[in-house]
Amino acid sequence: MGTVQLFPEFVSETLGLSGVLGDVVGSLVAAAVVGNIVLAFTGVAGPWAKRKITAAFTDRIAVNRIGPFGLLIIPAAAVQLLAKELIVPEGVDRPTWDLAPIVLPASALLGFAVIPMGRLGPINLQIADPEVGLALVFAFASIASVSLVMAGYASNNKYSMLGGLRAVAQNLAYEIPLIVTAMSVVVFAGTLQTSGIVAAQTDVLFSVGGFDVPTWYAFVNPFAFVLFLTANMAEIGRNPFDIPEAPTEIVAGYQTEYSSAYFVLFYLGEFVHVFLGGAILAVTFLGGASGPGPESIGFLWFVVKIWGFFLFTQWARSALPRVRIDQLIEIGWKGMLVLSFANLVLTAVIVGVIA
Amino acid sequence: MRGRFKPQDVTETYMSDWIAIGALAAVGLLIPIGMMTVSALLRPSVPETGKSTTYESGETPTGGTRIRFNIQYYMVALLFVVFDIETVLLFPWAVIYRPAIEAGVPMIDLLWPMLAFVGILAIGLGWAWRTGAVEWARSSRAASRKTERDLNT
Repeated sequence: MGTVQLFPEFVSETLGLSGVLGDVVGSLVAAAVVGNIVLAFTGVAGPWAKRKITAAFTDRIAVNRIGPFGLLIIPAAAVQLLAKELIVPEGVDRPTWDLAPIVLPASALLGFAVIPMGRLGPINLQIADPEVGLALVFAFASIASVSLVMAGYASNNKYSMLGGLRAVAQNLAYEIPLIVTAMSVVVFAGTLQTSGIVAAQTDVLFSVGGFDVPTWYAFVNPFAFVLFLTANMAEIGRNPFDIPEAPTEIVAGYQTEYSSAYFVLFYLGEFVHVFLGGAILAVTFLGGASGPGPESIGFLWFVVKIWGFFLFTQWARSALPRVRIDQLIEIGWKGMLVLSFANLVLTAVIVGVIA
Repeated sequence: MRGRFKPQDVTETYMSDWIAIGALAAVGLLIPIGMMTVSALLRPSVPETGKSTTYESGETPTGGTRIRFNIQYYMVALLFVVFDIETVLLFPWAVIYRPAIEAGVPMIDLLWPMLAFVGILAIGLGWAWRTGAVEWARSSRAASRKTERDLNT
């Protein structure tokens, strides 16, 4: 692991500040930078990339009128959506109804605190590296379901109510397989610290024709990788596990009654959550920011990995049918749960034999 | 301590980690609140009674919203509490497992407490499975209703 300087320390040292003041200023600057990076990802993904990708799958062109490749649709959509009238339906439970759209993006963004996003030149893009990193990121990510229940219950709408309930049932069913599968990675790495998990994936697994295959846990344990990927899709509520929204069944689920900035925040929060899912996947199974080339361009590899995951979710969205709620419960509690515990025990035995 | 720090500066770096996480939490709250404020300054307000009814496929909403829903949502929540606590208690085991193996502790001594712990919960899951707690509960009305699929078979 060496002496890797975290992003806030780098900022406070560059500014020549020390002590608590240095910590606070450095942290705030670093947090603002990371927050804006994530916001920029969602800005590109939401109004532009998602449409372009879906259009490519369905043989259409999609946005191409404003700017090169239609890219200027991003600021246009931002202004358009924020300038919409906010319609507050009758009988909504305030302030719960107003708080839900704040909690969702905040919780998803908070997950990025412990993600090692790799180096960009001299900067190591990681906010914090506590010893409980991996447990912490799951804890932050699951606050999102609280927000979905708040939205569903407070909206005074039957579709919202059902959407909120479905969201919880889904997150509960898939959270255990998700965490238990991540635990099999912890058994390999022997640490919860995210930088330690990444560092444990830098050895050479085997060489094929002069090309070294690293010990990314996706290569070491492909079965766990597939399990984790599936549970992750359910956790972030993407197809085939998008029943909390299910446009053909319950309109838009928990976000039915939201408009204007409130709707934007839900939409944004979901995209941040997708990218957080991709980031967790990259850290636990795809070697974090590692890749060919010098270490100082690691961040670019990290971006490639999380956008790869985003592409995968969009592919699944175009290609896979949605599971029903009863199938969801059975897949989760009967299939994934049993498989993830089997994977954990098997991993423990393998580690015990090879270590 | 693994990694970056000497033992004496552990408390200080610990603090700076949590200050940094707190800073990201502040940014995470500021972004949505900022967007809401900008929107409040930009957007028009044209109140009208028809607009503010809740959406129910274009019909006038009927009945209350606090509807009775499937008992299954409660059953899986109950199961979740048990398994979630289990995963939390398994984390320390997962962290010490490999260092302990490398320090020469026999594998079986490390495995059996975990297997016993998971085994007790596996019995619980087996019971839930047998009694149908992890199967989607169909109400008697839904069970008696003929769907298109039933008619086709």
